[in-house]
Amino acid sequence: MLKEIAAAEFEELAVKGVVLVDFFSTTCGPCKMLSFVLNDVEKVLGDKVTILKVDFDKNKDLTEKYAVKGYPTLIVLKDGVEVKRMQGLQQKPAIIKALEEQL
Amino acid sequence: MAIGYTHLEHWIPKQAEAEKAMLEEFEKGNYTLQNPLVKYNPYFINPLAAVVLFKTEKATAITVTVKGKTKPADISHTFPKATTHILPILGLYANYNNTVEIKPYRSEGVTIHIEVGDVVPDILEYCDTTPEYFQDNIMILSPSGLFSPCGFDYAGDIRWHLTAMCVFDYKRLRNGNLLIGTDRLLKMPYYMSGLYEMSPVGKIYKEYRIPGGYHHDQFEMEDGNLLVLTEDLRSETVEDMCVLIDRQTGEVLKTWDYKNCLTPGDGAGVSYTDEDWFHNNAVWYDKNTNSLTFSGRHIDSMINIDYETGKLNWIIGDPRNWSEEKQKYFFKPVGNDFEWQYEQHANVITPNGDVMCFDNHHNDTKFEAEKRPAYKSYSRGVRYRIDTDKMEIEQVWQYGRGRGAEFFSPYICNVEYYNEGHYLVHSGGIAYDKDGVPSEALGPYAAMSGGSQYAITCEVYNDKKMYELKVKGNFYRAEKLKLYCDGINLEMGEGKILGYLNDTKEMDTEIPVEACGEMLPEECNARIEDEIDKFTLFSRFVKGDLVMLMLEQGEEVHRYYISTTATPNKAMCCGSFLDTDDRNIRFGVTKTGLSGTYDVRIIINDKKYETGVQIKA
Repeated sequence: MLKEIAAAEFEELAVKGVVLVDFFSTTCGPCKMLSFVLNDVEKVLGDKVTILKVDFDKNKDLTEKYAVKGYPTLIVLKDGVEVKRMQGLQQKPAIIKALEEQL
Repeated sequence: MAIGYTHLEHWIPKQAEAEKAMLEEFEKGNYTLQNPLVKYNPYFINPLAAVVLFKTEKATAITVTVKGKTKPADISHTFPKATTHILPILGLYANYNNTVEIKPYRSEGVTIHIEVGDVVPDILEYCDTTPEYFQDNIMILSPSGLFSPCGFDYAGDIRWHLTAMCVFDYKRLRNGNLLIGTDRLLKMPYYMSGLYEMSPVGKIYKEYRIPGGYHHDQFEMEDGNLLVLTEDLRSETVEDMCVLIDRQTGEVLKTWDYKNCLTPGDGAGVSYTDEDWFHNNAVWYDKNTNSLTFSGRHIDSMINIDYETGKLNWIIGDPRNWSEEKQKYFFKPVGNDFEWQYEQHANVITPNGDVMCFDNHHNDTKFEAEKRPAYKSYSRGVRYRIDTDKMEIEQVWQYGRGRGAEFFSPYICNVEYYNEGHYLVHSGGIAYDKDGVPSEALGPYAAMSGGSQYAITCEVYNDKKMYELKVKGNFYRAEKLKLYCDGINLEMGEGKILGYLNDTKEMDTEIPVEACGEMLPEECNARIEDEIDKFTLFSRFVKGDLVMLMLEQGEEVHRYYISTTATPNKAMCCGSFLDTDDRNIRFGVTKTGLSGTYDVRIIINDKKYETGVQIKA
């Protein structure tokens, strides 16, 4: 599943299984590219992982909670616990590898 | 209308053609000592040099003297016996009608004049030394900002200059040639195509292309092979590898990847980023211990590894923020006045095994919350003595701390060991903001916002300052040398381009847009500079736009993502190429792995534009 969400939904969706959280901004070129990469990642991994997109500028509570200082920032959660963080634009193989390590 | 397109010929074939024409002219004429052929700047890149050609009936040694503005400023060299004389003339002045004496051994000579125009930047603030101390040496400053390399004599006059923006380290090889970074940028702010081995007159004998690009430093081994700092272009990280290059073939003989002995993120300093986690700015081989020492700016540490195995031997630096597992590699300070170095450059191992470096002392900590402001900061040259049995370290010498912020460089710089007590300390990255306050931003960014840059180079002998040069601009390193060497000062024949560049990392994700058939908008002000083995796109984009460079040849497509997000770098190794408008991008693609003729197209957000340019590979 790949879904853009707000803080209210986050707690519900992020606590179980392997979740990739993408903190993005609509003003950021690498974030725009990453959205295409994440579409490809979803095609490969399907329902094995949940991909949540969080607008950096509209979700201050979440950016503070996860100490996200810039975008794009990718955080891998396993059952709600952060297990890996990647900053900047990443390629599909690197993201898939980071997620598969947790499956 | 198609975007701009320029083909840049490599210096080596261009110089070869000019040299061939020069030699043909020489052979056709009857050039004698009284009537020599004089070629000013024959290799295009050194406007303070010439070549004089003539024949003598008998083999004779020739002494050439470029007359100084004062007697001690004369630059002189005697060439060995020959009948055909092809003599490099080095050390001309700009804005001056130079007098050059050419004198055969025990015979009357001739005097020629070489008029040189306004070809060097006016950057001298002062040069404080004596001709007795400095003699006929030249202090070469390698660029890190807007000014290309300059060499200063004892009086502060520029006597050597390259118009080519050859960056990073300048070293003299044992054969007398210079080994310097090329002027061919691969990617901002990190790496160039490789190294030029050249005569001081400006003739390039070889380009050693480095597959992962070259940055910061190189070291000549005893057998002539070269240690070169590089990286893996396909990796997500930068400036974290070293290679050994075969001097004859340019082939990579050995590779050290620091990720094999360190974990990125361990020991992170204030300027750390995921990509530039190590920021290697120096390499030194020590024969006594058969080991390599590397300086990592973004871990505030110098590491030493075994040459053969790559195994970690020790780390010099503040041990805070390092994992428990690595603590055993750190030294315990002993003695008085000890301070760790922060964001250091240019490590040197002295003959007795001491470790020297330029301690930029940027931030004075490894933690953001403890940062020392620039106006209270200092930099220094420092020498540490280490005991690897007891794992103890002692600070045995320093210079610069007492000068405070006026000698503070948060980036670049170097030290040189000449002999016991005799050192060079070059603080090349001094910057002030527009109000004249020591700048928090690195020099190139300070200058862009109306500030100023300076470089101060000192030499001390037994703690007495013998030399101080201050110039405008930031300069990466200082290297003192004599222009002429005892070996071959100029050799005829075409140079060689050795080695290769790895292919540029491509984006494997497609942006699903169709070609719109329109030309790239004029406001992009785009142009392409095409070279033998790479090309560079220069263009302007709106910050935050999604941009991708496409090379298309039928079904074959290559995609290169271009970031339009302007983020000030915490390091600025190639500040010489920094654009004053952060919307302007400069994106290089190597031709390795490409074959045929490709249409260049550019995606901006949801449109794929034509450029009207084709690249042949």
